[in-house]
Amino acid sequence: MKLKTALVIVFAGFYLTLSANPQADYEKANKAYMAGFYENAISIYERILENGIAAPDLYYNLGNAYFKIDDIPSAILNYERALKLDPGNEDYEYNLSVANNKIVDKIDVLPELFYIRWWKSLKRLLSPDGWAKTALLTFTLIFITVAIFLLSSRMWARKMIFSFGILLLLINLISGIIAWQTYREAKDQKTAIIFTPTLPVKSSPDESSIDLFVIHEGLKVTVIDKIGEWQEIRIANGSKGWIKAGQIKPI
Amino acid sequence: MKKLRFSALLVMFTWVSFTSGQDLDFRASAREVVSVGDQFRLIYSINGQASGFRAPIIKNFSILAGPSQSTSTSMQIINNQVSRSVEYSFTYVLQATSEGTFTIPPASVNVDGKSYQSNPVTIRVVKGSAPASPGAQQQQSQPQGGEITAKDLFVKASVNKSNPYQGEQVIITYKIYTRIPVAEYSITRTPSTAGFWSQDLIKDNTKLNQYRETVDGNEYVVAEIKKEALFAQKSGNLTIEPLEMDVVAQVQRKASRRGFNDPFFDSFFNDSFFGSTYQNIKKTLRSNQLNINVKPLPSTNRPSEFTGAVGNFSISSSIDRDQLKANEAMTLKFTITGKGNIKLVEKPNLVFPSDFEVYDPRISDNISASPTGVSGSRTFEYLIIPRNPGDFTIKSSRFAFFDIETGTYKTLNSPDFRIKVEKGNGNEANVVAGGTNKEDFKYIGTDIRFIKTSPLKLRPVNSYFISRPLFPLWLVIPPVLLAAFMLIWRNELRKRNNLALMRNRKATRVARKRLKAAEQYLKQKNQDAFWAEVSNALWGYISDKFNIPGSTLSMDSVNQALKNKNVKDELIAQFITALNNCEFARFAPGDKSQAMDKLYREAIEVITNTEQQLK
Repeated sequence: MKLKTALVIVFAGFYLTLSANPQADYEKANKAYMAGFYENAISIYERILENGIAAPDLYYNLGNAYFKIDDIPSAILNYERALKLDPGNEDYEYNLSVANNKIVDKIDVLPELFYIRWWKSLKRLLSPDGWAKTALLTFTLIFITVAIFLLSSRMWARKMIFSFGILLLLINLISGIIAWQTYREAKDQKTAIIFTPTLPVKSSPDESSIDLFVIHEGLKVTVIDKIGEWQEIRIANGSKGWIKAGQIKPI
Repeated sequence: MKKLRFSALLVMFTWVSFTSGQDLDFRASAREVVSVGDQFRLIYSINGQASGFRAPIIKNFSILAGPSQSTSTSMQIINNQVSRSVEYSFTYVLQATSEGTFTIPPASVNVDGKSYQSNPVTIRVVKGSAPASPGAQQQQSQPQGGEITAKDLFVKASVNKSNPYQGEQVIITYKIYTRIPVAEYSITRTPSTAGFWSQDLIKDNTKLNQYRETVDGNEYVVAEIKKEALFAQKSGNLTIEPLEMDVVAQVQRKASRRGFNDPFFDSFFNDSFFGSTYQNIKKTLRSNQLNINVKPLPSTNRPSEFTGAVGNFSISSSIDRDQLKANEAMTLKFTITGKGNIKLVEKPNLVFPSDFEVYDPRISDNISASPTGVSGSRTFEYLIIPRNPGDFTIKSSRFAFFDIETGTYKTLNSPDFRIKVEKGNGNEANVVAGGTNKEDFKYIGTDIRFIKTSPLKLRPVNSYFISRPLFPLWLVIPPVLLAAFMLIWRNELRKRNNLALMRNRKATRVARKRLKAAEQYLKQKNQDAFWAEVSNALWGYISDKFNIPGSTLSMDSVNQALKNKNVKDELIAQFITALNNCEFARFAPGDKSQAMDKLYREAIEVITNTEQQLK
């Protein structure tokens, strides 16, 4: 017991003496987490984020800390944010699925056509920046290939370089499209997490309209429209409805 | 029918004093007030020789029996005067079915040819309500004879504790107090004990605990007819409804009253027709309602292992062996002994090594319900089969209960068990299907994965590479670079462009030009010019193609150059021959006009073939 109070004091001290060095703060927060002082860890992680800087691992650790204090919506929000920066990370996805098992709503996801599934899993291969960089790299390579093609005189060499160039062009187009799409998705923040414990979804942006269905905290929704303080959302099974803004946090 | 005969007897005794000399009196009588469900008698009686009894129409009551006719005759001789009396009565047994005030119309009867009418009977039927005090029931109407009052016979329910804890044992006792003999009794409604778990404490109904008790100065014989141990399952005000029972009591006639000795089970009621001094009266008794205020268990310091055991317990646990071979079975016994709600004790949260196969415990109770309460033991017997060798520990488990006497929670620990499992003696194949020792991989728990601790790669939130100026800039750079490169390359080529390259490219064209000129000379028959052109065409082609200066040109160098380019020997020979012929014709004297045409075609063929082979 004594040890624990001592630790509390130590971590309170950590909290007060937040340095300007985010890496040092991050390590302090991790130590607090390991000692079981999740609230302290959360406050330090959040402080780092207040500076307007982020990293996928930071969101992930913050999500873990929220999970430990049973704040599932916040945990899900941070896991989703981590996945936005680093899509396809296996640990992030695992913890997100564990957290999603704890929320109230169990919604059957609408099955998607195979090529949309493929496209989406392709998108998850790299981060938005990764795709942008791939697009630039292939773009540059295409021009180098063109130069080599023009310089080479041998027939077979020219044939090979030409095929390679076509391949590069294909990769460039795909990565360019994905880079742009993922960038738009990330920038628009179209997905959000519900933070109200129980939230009736209305049929129209009007307090007196009919309740269509009820969703609960921690659910991921897609925002498709906004009118004043109302937002139209869509849940994973395709159902749509209106809720008041401020009850959700964008990812 | 016994009852009816009995009542007829009563009637006879009652009305025996009427004499035939008196005026005829046809009367109907019944209880004025009955409650719903009560059975009562409606008696029409006449002191004369009656015939032709016409029954009234009885509505609103159900006729259980009747009318039954009875006659009694008596003679008296007083002062030599003989008086004779005859008494007729018609009896119904009715049951009230609904509330209200009902009038039964008069009945009529003929006596000596004259018709007589009885009086109508008005009966008020009230709701069968609970009595206010124990034993204050509506009494069975007995128009004559002894009456049973609440003072004579009542049932009382009592608890040993009216303010228990949730789960604490409360003993409820139903006692019957009586001053009159009771022939038999039966409990018609046992109170529902909703909210309680109950256990009967009296198993053998033939051995009732009897004693004498004085209440309000009256001495009663008391018998405990029912005793239950109750364990409240929830807190709050719980009500136990009254118990209802039917008692057949034996009422002594006043005429020959005698003291009672053992009123209970004096079943040898003298039933002879005359001379009986007892009559059996059935009576419904209701006990009092009980209110029990159950206190919740304190929530402070409640151990996490607490599952609801309240009382006073002790635990013991044992294993039958601590050394065994894999795939052999062992048993672990966990016994909880004590007084309290032992039947509600749940199985202990024993933690077995995950490699152990543990079956659901066999629960055996040894519970004795004595009039002082419930006590005993509950044993959980686990069958355990270790599947793999090794040293294992079955960790101690904790059992918590609430101790009523001290009002606190107590936690008991069972010991750790160390178990040494040795390798099975090779016949696992018989036990494990398929003869392999492989086990299905299984998850024991679920948790999130641990945090990341590697250094952070921090970057501003919501800044994306694609939105930085570098991105469009980079899109422009490669095409510009390529264009610049191509320009520079071309210039460089032109600068460095030695004649060799130019000549090489133009060799064929130059050769063709010369041959064309030669063709002109051929037509003009200009021999010298023709030979000069053809020779130049051939030599020039080699010179241009292989970048050999004219000064070093020779048959050998031509031969060598062509050989280096892997031109076929045949073609080389042809080429050389053409050159030789050309040189010969050019410098040899005489008319070579016939050879001109042939050589011209030879030259074209040689150059064309060489060109093809060089490609």
